[in-house]
Amino acid sequence: MRSLWLVAKHEYRRTVLRRAFVLVTLAIPLGMVALIALAISVAMMSENNLPVGYVDKAGILDVTRHATLPNADERIEVRAFPDEEAALAALELEEIQAFFVFPSDYPNTLETDLYYLEEPPSNDVWGDFSSFVRVNLVATYPAEVRNRLFEGPNITVHDIVSNREFSESSMINVILPFVATFFFFVATMSASGYMLQVVAKEKENRTMEIMITSVTPGQLIGGKTVGLLAAALTQLSIYVIAAVVGLIVAAPRVEALQQLTVPWAYLGVMALFFFPAYALVGAVMVAIGGAVTKVQEGQQVAGILNLFFMAPVFLLTVIFKNPAAPVVVFLTLFPTTAFMTISLRWGLGTVPLWQIGVSWVLLVATTILMVWAAARIFRAGMLRYGQPLNLKTAVAVIRGD
Amino acid sequence: MHAVRVSHVAKSFGSTHAVVDVSFDVEPGEIFGLLGPNGAGKTTTIRMMLDIFRPDAGTVSIFGGKLDLAKKRRIGYMPEDRGLYKDLKLEPTLVYLATLKGLDKRTARSRLGEWLERFDLAEHRQKKVQELSSGMQQKAQIIATLLHDPDLIVADEPFAGLDPVNTRLVKQILEEQRQAGKSILMSTHQMYQVEALCDRIILIDEGRTVLYGAVDEIKRSFAGNAVVIEGQGDFTHIPGVLETRKHNDAWHVALEIGTDPQAVFRTLAARESIKIERFELAEPSLDDIFINVVQNGAAKLEANHA
Repeated sequence: MRSLWLVAKHEYRRTVLRRAFVLVTLAIPLGMVALIALAISVAMMSENNLPVGYVDKAGILDVTRHATLPNADERIEVRAFPDEEAALAALELEEIQAFFVFPSDYPNTLETDLYYLEEPPSNDVWGDFSSFVRVNLVATYPAEVRNRLFEGPNITVHDIVSNREFSESSMINVILPFVATFFFFVATMSASGYMLQVVAKEKENRTMEIMITSVTPGQLIGGKTVGLLAAALTQLSIYVIAAVVGLIVAAPRVEALQQLTVPWAYLGVMALFFFPAYALVGAVMVAIGGAVTKVQEGQQVAGILNLFFMAPVFLLTVIFKNPAAPVVVFLTLFPTTAFMTISLRWGLGTVPLWQIGVSWVLLVATTILMVWAAARIFRAGMLRYGQPLNLKTAVAVIRGD
Repeated sequence: MHAVRVSHVAKSFGSTHAVVDVSFDVEPGEIFGLLGPNGAGKTTTIRMMLDIFRPDAGTVSIFGGKLDLAKKRRIGYMPEDRGLYKDLKLEPTLVYLATLKGLDKRTARSRLGEWLERFDLAEHRQKKVQELSSGMQQKAQIIATLLHDPDLIVADEPFAGLDPVNTRLVKQILEEQRQAGKSILMSTHQMYQVEALCDRIILIDEGRTVLYGAVDEIKRSFAGNAVVIEGQGDFTHIPGVLETRKHNDAWHVALEIGTDPQAVFRTLAARESIKIERFELAEPSLDDIFINVVQNGAAKLEANHA
């Protein structure tokens, strides 16, 4: 056991001190921050805050009602013009960014004309002006009806199986699993890729000979897996801490983030799946590293096998369209795709409990089988020094022939 | 109790028979030479001994039994191709490898300091292994082999890449280890090192044992298969001669198995262009024996000794 921990500790330190690991760990959160900052600054730079004008021939709008809108100060200013000529003059003088003309038959047609010079108003401006029109259209109704009509519907879907709620205002809770899936994916793949490199490279440069005359193959592989798992968790922890700090900083400024609740159930289920899924990826990489004689050969084989883990990414549209489709259920139950599929489906709706249970049992069973097979292949690969282990021989080794 | 007992081991890789039948013992307090031409099966034999490969046939016994983890810790192994982590710093690498052999970190560090001083590597302890010269890497590998004070040292080409000063140092260290009662199995192509260091040797060729025993006895058994000649003239192109080398003023002439030294003398005496001042039977060097045995083949050798 001491040897296993020594190998694990060594592998952990070696991994987290690698320049590539530090870069990936810091680059992703920093990159996200930079992208968000860039998007915000581009949006702010391109934002046109000039007022929007209107010519009301139908006699339905009262500019003073603008002040009754919620957060009226933060909304785009509106200006009334007596006719198109006056509005056009103001537009040409860049006193307004656009103006609407409400014809006299507007209450029947609900059609307006929009005039602007180069750029149409942004979605936010459209939204603000629509609110202004709405508050005018419902002005004659009693207060409670007026408020109801103004706010519009807010549909909340209650799932009676999982007791979860989905509503437009809590979209952030739907998006979160997708973001988390991405981070899980990056952490797992980078650590497992490194595992392959470590095993194949040590075999190639004969370090493995020194190791194998000091510890057992089980201690060696077990220690490497534990060390790399710890490194992956370190990376995830940094991502989580960065995300939490980001949310704490951004939440007071972004309304959508205030709706965010910690998805404990999601985190629990994902933790249950993460460890066996990680071990499965690690075992596959150990098997490949043990079977090949050159790092490059291993990377080629791993590139193909990675498709089995990444299939949900390629089938995203299918998952989005129908999260309960037979192919998606298959991906949910299939051990290599279970982790990502369940994570993605979580954001779109409910994953039936039986599927989660069966999927987890299949994943754990496959992982145990794969770890056992990987140890056999690794050992056989050592015995056939200098000669790669082909698929036929690997199968024979696993069967104990 | 033998430190190592290898008994009739064999190993094939597909249709290639790397080792066919090799047997030997290594005793405590001796330096044992494992010799053979390239591809003879030396490294495969070492790997079978250390349980890196499992033999197809035969048995290996280390310290009187099967190799387990406790016995692995009593072995210091130096592979032919250096097996250190190249991207790591020297000191932590060596300490890590020593802790895997059962040493605690403090003891490993303390012993390492002494070894680094002795090998003149102290000022390079914080350099990455790949930044060291090949000779320095070889010395680092030797330290990795000896740091945990093993009872059995297995060294595949320990002198590779070393300059004469460091070669002498490594020889001195190996002799110290022998005097301390350690068993040393050494595989090398440098016959003069074998001659200077080894108590006993095994020579394997094409996966089979072709010579096995004490160095002195083997040399005595091959006496007569070489002569030393001094004189004037050309002493090359003599029938029945395997190789002729001039060293200082003397010609060292290795004879083919079955060649009578008297016949060689008569041939030379008959040449008018040659003046012989000294002609004597020489104890052949291991180098001569190696070339003789390998070039003539095991079958011829057996016929000669029969």
